[in-house]
Amino acid sequence: MSSEENSSEQQSQGEFERQAVPQSSWLGFRSFIGMYAGEHCAGTELMIGPLFVAAGVSAFDVVVGLIVGNLLAVLSWMFLCAPIATRTRLTLYYQLEKICGRRLVILYNIANGVMFCFLAGSMITVSATALGVWFKFPMPGLNDLYPNSVGWVIAVLAIGVLISFVAAFGYKTVAKFANIAAPWMVLVFLAFGLIGLRNFIVATGTEVSSAGDVWGLCKDTIWKGGDPLPGQIKFTFWHVMFFAWFCNMAMHVGMSDLTVLRFAKKSWYGSASATGMYVGHFMAWLAAAMLFAFQLHQTHPDQYMADLLTQNTTAKYTQSALMDGPMSPDLIREAMEIEAQLVADGTIAKEDMKISVPTPLPGPLAYGACGITGLICVIIAGWTTANPTIYRAGLAFQAIIPKASRFKVTIATGLLATVAAMFPAIAMKLLGFVMLYGMILMPMGAVVFVDFWLLKKFGLQSNYAEVSGKTFNWAAGLAWFLTFGVCCYFVKYTGIQIFFVSLPGWFIAAALYICISLIYQKKIRPTGQEV
Amino acid sequence: MILVAKLISWISLVALIAPAILFLMGRMELDQVKMVMLISTVVWFVTAAMWMWGKE
Repeated sequence: MSSEENSSEQQSQGEFERQAVPQSSWLGFRSFIGMYAGEHCAGTELMIGPLFVAAGVSAFDVVVGLIVGNLLAVLSWMFLCAPIATRTRLTLYYQLEKICGRRLVILYNIANGVMFCFLAGSMITVSATALGVWFKFPMPGLNDLYPNSVGWVIAVLAIGVLISFVAAFGYKTVAKFANIAAPWMVLVFLAFGLIGLRNFIVATGTEVSSAGDVWGLCKDTIWKGGDPLPGQIKFTFWHVMFFAWFCNMAMHVGMSDLTVLRFAKKSWYGSASATGMYVGHFMAWLAAAMLFAFQLHQTHPDQYMADLLTQNTTAKYTQSALMDGPMSPDLIREAMEIEAQLVADGTIAKEDMKISVPTPLPGPLAYGACGITGLICVIIAGWTTANPTIYRAGLAFQAIIPKASRFKVTIATGLLATVAAMFPAIAMKLLGFVMLYGMILMPMGAVVFVDFWLLKKFGLQSNYAEVSGKTFNWAAGLAWFLTFGVCCYFVKYTGIQIFFVSLPGWFIAAALYICISLIYQKKIRPTGQEV
Repeated sequence: MILVAKLISWISLVALIAPAILFLMGRMELDQVKMVMLISTVVWFVTAAMWMWGKE
């Protein structure tokens, strides 16, 4: 889901960490096409597509929402991030140090590192679901927050520890392996979609002779819309669009990809991100979504659920109609309510509750479609993307404690990600988590944008920390903290969902940085000092 | 040798996706699809490693 592997490698070799990339090292358009296409086909795509289905999205909303949202993401790379990257040719960290000062960058690194850890955790979770197919231990449910079986904990621990040690010992080896796996993985994702589509055609007996027939199947059977599964929020066009736009917000609006695009010859090379968006965040999401939609389509209420519904409602259902019909969110919700009432009445014990929500587990979904190849894809997709994520988190933490060994920091970071992966809440709530990730880091992107383009127009000093020698630019710091606080307030107290706060949040951060700089720089700068 | 490895690896990618397309058209069984995909996967990783591993 992110795109800094090349640059991470270069940084690890100490290339241009604190200097502009020289012209001799600039890269052509093709370098960025391959990089973005490979890196946005990650293990987490296998969770995100199915979670859209769980959110009750309709075919029009998901298809058009993804087309528009991904276009906005590409435009953000092209017009927000790339123009600054190709003018300064500095890493985000060095650019931030010039603007914010060393101590504020340390805070940014902590936030970034922690979020990378959780993201890597969700990738380990995805890989662990493949082990569940082989070893058949109980796997977590859609609404589970905590680990639910010893087998699950052991599987996550095994994969997490393995990934951590490989990241610490052989980051470059895995990066090479990821390059080999990338084209193969894209085709396996495509195969998921083709096989999922055929499964629907056969299961529904649909005659397909035109694109219109396929679209009819999509809107009537695959993405039917309606209520979300219990515990999920309803997704509309706007949710899909903003999610597709902002799921990589830290990278484009948040300017993290300055580190990547500083190598681009031209700023329009930011358009290469379209390959990642429309391969990974369109084709792969829709393909993975089809697999989970088919699982839902094939699931019927079992005898227990049919008994529960027929015996506790007045002639609303019949056994045969229930057991022959498809499972629907309404049925699950009603059965859960009845079961909870029976527990409250003391009719059944709490541990005897059996109604659960169908869960999108990438391992079993991929195995059902493509067999062992699907399982290998799930493991490799999680592993090859968790590897650089753990490595990057390690780099972020190491910047805080420069004397600590890279090996120890990476191992510790990997183990932290492994512990996070044991809690399925992160992967099951991935849509919200990804939005939170963008929301936390987005204000610093606004600070970089304003500092580069606007500050001088207000008679203010850009790169203020570098010029003034400050190690903590309070204007940038307050813009970050206050924006985060305001966004949290909107989400918690005004009912605005997290998908929609980051857009106004960016403008708030930009305005705050200008206003506070007007006061802060005036107060600090000696009278008459030239701007 | 490298040229042969390249050729085989690209053919294996075609063989990886072709069964899924044939399955969509109703011309292949799912079990066969899974088997061909697995063989193509092994061939891809072996032959692609021969010419891609050394690349920076």
